[in-house]
Amino acid sequence: MIKAVMVMNTQGKTRLAKFYEYLPVEKQQELIRGVFAVLCSRAENVSNFIDAESIFGPDSRLVYKHFATLYFVFVFDSSENELAVLDLIQVFVETLDRCFKNVCELDVVFNYSKVHTILDEMIFGGQVVETSSSEIMKAVEEISKLEAASNAITLIPKSASGWRSR
Amino acid sequence: MSMHGMRGLSVFISEIRNCQNKEQERLRIDKELGNVRNRFKNEKGLTPYEKKKYVWKMLYIYMLGYDVDFGHMEAVSLISAPKYPEKQVGYIVTSCLLNENHDFLRLAINTVRNDIIGRNETFQCLALTMVGNIGGREFAESLAPDVQKLLLSSSCRPLVRKKAALCLLRLYRKNPDIVNVDGWADRMAQLLDERDLGVLTSSMSLLVALASNNHEVYWSCLPKCVKILERLARNQDVPQEYTYYGIPSPWLQVKTMRALQYFPTIEDPNTRRTLFEVLQRILMGTDVVKNVNKNNASHAVLFEALALVMHLDAEKEMMSQCVALLGKFIAVREPNIRYLGLENMTRMLMVTDVQEIIKRHQAQIITSLKDPDVSIRRRALDLLYGMCDVTNAKDIVEELLQYLSSADFTMREELSLKAAILAEKFAPDLSWYVDVILQLIDKAGDFISDDIWFRVVQFVTNNDDLQPYAAAKVKEYLDKSAVHETMVKVSAYILGEYSHLLARRPGCSPKEIFSLLHEKLPTVSTTTIPILLSAYAKILMHTQPPDQELQSQIWSIFNKYESCIDAEIQQRAVEYLALCQRGAALMDILAEMPKFPERKSSLIKRTEYSEGDTAEQSAIKLRAQQQTSNALVVTDQHPANGATSPVPVGQLSLVKVPSMITTENDTSTDHPLSQQNGALSNVDPQPPSADLLSDILGPLAIEGPPGATVQSEHNAVSGLEGGSDAADGSAIVPVDEQTNTVQPIGNIAERFHALCLKDSGVLYEDPYIQIGIKAEWRGHHGRLVLFLGNKNTAPLVSVQAIILPPAHLKVELSLVPDTIPPRAQVQCPLEVVNLRPSRDMAVLDFSYKFGTNMVNVKLRLPATLNKFLQPIQVPAEEFFSQWRSLSGPPLKLQEVIRGIRPMPLPEMANLLNSFRIMNCPGLDPNPNNLVASTTFYSESRPAMLCLVRIETDPADRTQLRMTLASGDPTLTFELKEFIKEQLISIPTAPRSPAPPAAQPTPQIPPNDPAAILAGLLS
Repeated sequence: MIKAVMVMNTQGKTRLAKFYEYLPVEKQQELIRGVFAVLCSRAENVSNFIDAESIFGPDSRLVYKHFATLYFVFVFDSSENELAVLDLIQVFVETLDRCFKNVCELDVVFNYSKVHTILDEMIFGGQVVETSSSEIMKAVEEISKLEAASNAITLIPKSASGWRSR
Repeated sequence: MSMHGMRGLSVFISEIRNCQNKEQERLRIDKELGNVRNRFKNEKGLTPYEKKKYVWKMLYIYMLGYDVDFGHMEAVSLISAPKYPEKQVGYIVTSCLLNENHDFLRLAINTVRNDIIGRNETFQCLALTMVGNIGGREFAESLAPDVQKLLLSSSCRPLVRKKAALCLLRLYRKNPDIVNVDGWADRMAQLLDERDLGVLTSSMSLLVALASNNHEVYWSCLPKCVKILERLARNQDVPQEYTYYGIPSPWLQVKTMRALQYFPTIEDPNTRRTLFEVLQRILMGTDVVKNVNKNNASHAVLFEALALVMHLDAEKEMMSQCVALLGKFIAVREPNIRYLGLENMTRMLMVTDVQEIIKRHQAQIITSLKDPDVSIRRRALDLLYGMCDVTNAKDIVEELLQYLSSADFTMREELSLKAAILAEKFAPDLSWYVDVILQLIDKAGDFISDDIWFRVVQFVTNNDDLQPYAAAKVKEYLDKSAVHETMVKVSAYILGEYSHLLARRPGCSPKEIFSLLHEKLPTVSTTTIPILLSAYAKILMHTQPPDQELQSQIWSIFNKYESCIDAEIQQRAVEYLALCQRGAALMDILAEMPKFPERKSSLIKRTEYSEGDTAEQSAIKLRAQQQTSNALVVTDQHPANGATSPVPVGQLSLVKVPSMITTENDTSTDHPLSQQNGALSNVDPQPPSADLLSDILGPLAIEGPPGATVQSEHNAVSGLEGGSDAADGSAIVPVDEQTNTVQPIGNIAERFHALCLKDSGVLYEDPYIQIGIKAEWRGHHGRLVLFLGNKNTAPLVSVQAIILPPAHLKVELSLVPDTIPPRAQVQCPLEVVNLRPSRDMAVLDFSYKFGTNMVNVKLRLPATLNKFLQPIQVPAEEFFSQWRSLSGPPLKLQEVIRGIRPMPLPEMANLLNSFRIMNCPGLDPNPNNLVASTTFYSESRPAMLCLVRIETDPADRTQLRMTLASGDPTLTFELKEFIKEQLISIPTAPRSPAPPAAQPTPQIPPNDPAAILAGLLS
């Protein structure tokens, strides 16, 4: 199972954090800081693995990939194959690239809701749900169309909270 | 692409980005949170668009690490918005902010269910995603059946079904008791026929979850998995979008092989053959290419194939093929593949028969220890640790030592611990082990835990031949300019104990050793000073003839620390000063520390405890179990008596605390001190074992810390124990100067008295030897067997046993061997013939040598008068006629005995019975009297009847009148005296207070029925 997905820049600023098991926000920040402390000291041309057990506890592994100013980090347990997760990071980044045309850090910052959408099409409750970049794109585009369509119609529904009286 | 028209959100993000520092950011965020809170208060005026905008802001703030403790209701309420964007935001934010037990989730269940069973696929996906991400209990209860339906529905699009599969997986994982998967085996098999690779990937994950719980049910899925694998490996019918860098969905291949690893084996030969063909293809057909991503993908499949081959325990040929592949991988340029190569080799150690092949790659693995990537270095360290055995320990440990100086700080502790463990487990010789540990301390002192240096001290203490070597070695290290404090500790201990063994070498005189140590004192912390003080005291003790100058130097140091603020230092200084002034007593108290009991290395224990259950670690454990050291015996044998608790290693002290410093004059001052002297206060009084026979005949017990026994004053009997009453034996009579360092375990006198009553048990025990006895008595003959058991791993030499028989016994002892081998037990039969009645005792003069200790003890043998008695029940008629015929002294003797231990009459009867003098109830009408009879056997006379009558005074139980009659005056006298001894002094019990001296001898009134009987009988 994938435990967490993090995207952070080379200064250690979080750009995306998704934990598939609930953790209080302080704990999330502590883990993110812990990961960054290790990542920022790593040279280029080394492996994509770091010792995750000292940060996340037993039975955890960590794979990361460094693209320009961003680190993409996936944390998972021994039920996943390390290189397959590394491939998954590649799929994630390739999909972002398709979506934003030469994706850069700013795209991720200002479109983080879209990044969430893409991630949700790819990883579901800690499991890989789709590995084909084009399938993910198809789903995301469908969603975009829906959003655009509903934005075009200016009809404002009367009560969004009417369900509570039911 | 902008934020879907949410300008306000973009502006907010820009403002945050423009903040110069964290403080500004916090202010801006607090302001925004206040704003959002206010807007939510007047919810009426809020449009869904605005709600959506604010909720995204909250999520952004949350991601930056600020807690957002409001607006949850608003987020949840967006779920029921009819339009997609608001609904989407509601679902995404809810799954990010709320945990599965949040109350608000309950409010949303109906809406979520409506979305799942509704017709809108997009809504279905949103709802499934949220449920799958949160996976709460109530969701499982009310939604699982609907989710199952979606997964199986043929009308649903793959987009929905793959999410339904994973949603079900998550609900099942989190609530296996609620989600009912009975009857899912068929459905699961059906799902594996799916053509869509997206749905298939999710279904495979679901199968892994279900089969990992109970594979039995899912056998029917096994051939289908192999079929899927075959389809992918042969690249049949794989759509372009699922081909990743030319490889047909590596994720599905990996997942499928993972699923197969949950089945213990594959029975169907056809399926097995097909699978091995596919695996063979993967193993052979994967090359390292230039494109990194392609490499990663192909090797993801390859490593999973390796894992499956290991799991299936394939033929040896395929295994060695795997090792060969791994050997290739650990040398490639690609760091990820090097990393995984090392990791998988470590896993492979689990498989038998491949260790030897792995060893061929040792040089390459050692090179990886210098890899620029710390992750790879760690894996190399793990692998080296796992593959180490006697054959390669020297090479590997020396590499680790070399690496230690350049290793990352984060790794040093682990590295030194591993090196220490390997050195201990696989040391080809002990001096090498000492070298390794001292090097470790020298190079990485900060990372050496106390356990490591305690352990080396244990080994040096327990191995005599190692002591001069270790002493010389630590001295070399002390000669260096900068010495780590741990080195000072271990050196002080070893030099204190053993530097006298070096005394003849240049630079090793007591004075020089002392000043070498004392130089370090100003540099060390308060925890080390006590060890130094102990070492000084020991050096002083070993300096023969005494050196006045050294003495005054050391005394002045003790003087100085007598007022130290640290209690431990102060106590030692005070005690050593007092002990030094005691002269000869010092010799004994500061004698060399006894051997440690053998025990399992706490280091090895520690690693075992810290090891989890993952496969690779259990491989290490497994091997740890398989391979026992050939050099150092590491046992975890427990003391058979169960009386000892192992002394924590942390309590090393140089001073043994013998019981004998208690002297008559100053018991009050010294005794408590010696108890507190701390380190060795684990009191181990070794009570006589309940089952003495099993002690003798069973394997020898490895006792607790020898000499660590702080015995009570009464127990402290050593040396000559002859005929003297042991109960008041505070006197310690050393046979000669060297023997008094060995203390007996348990009370010798008590052991003897116990053996007077029974025929087998322990006669004597000390840290080195246990002497047991088993006896058989037939008339005037006795056959005893002495069991001499060596409790140590070193032989006992110069063993001598001489019997000093009294005149009335003929004793013949068979040959006692001169040497008792380690942990061996020798049996020495002993023949006894009784000639005449006598209370004299045979004494066993026993001596042996252990190391430098010469031990000599004199032990009473339980060949006592009562052993030659046979109980006999005499009918009343015969008793009275005998009683009458034996009239008056010397055949019939009467005595009033005082100072009797008060006891009820039945107890007294039992006591006599236990000495084989049989109580004859009913013969004496007076309930306060007791009549008994027995027969005595000797070589000179035929069996002789003995009659006993005891009259007690219920008003004063401390006195009685005893009458004894037999046909032999000596026998009458001896037996009377014998019974008297037993009644006056009952061995195990504390002595009763003496009766008031003023009390007059009771006059038996003339109307006493007993007196009448007495008159009648006599």
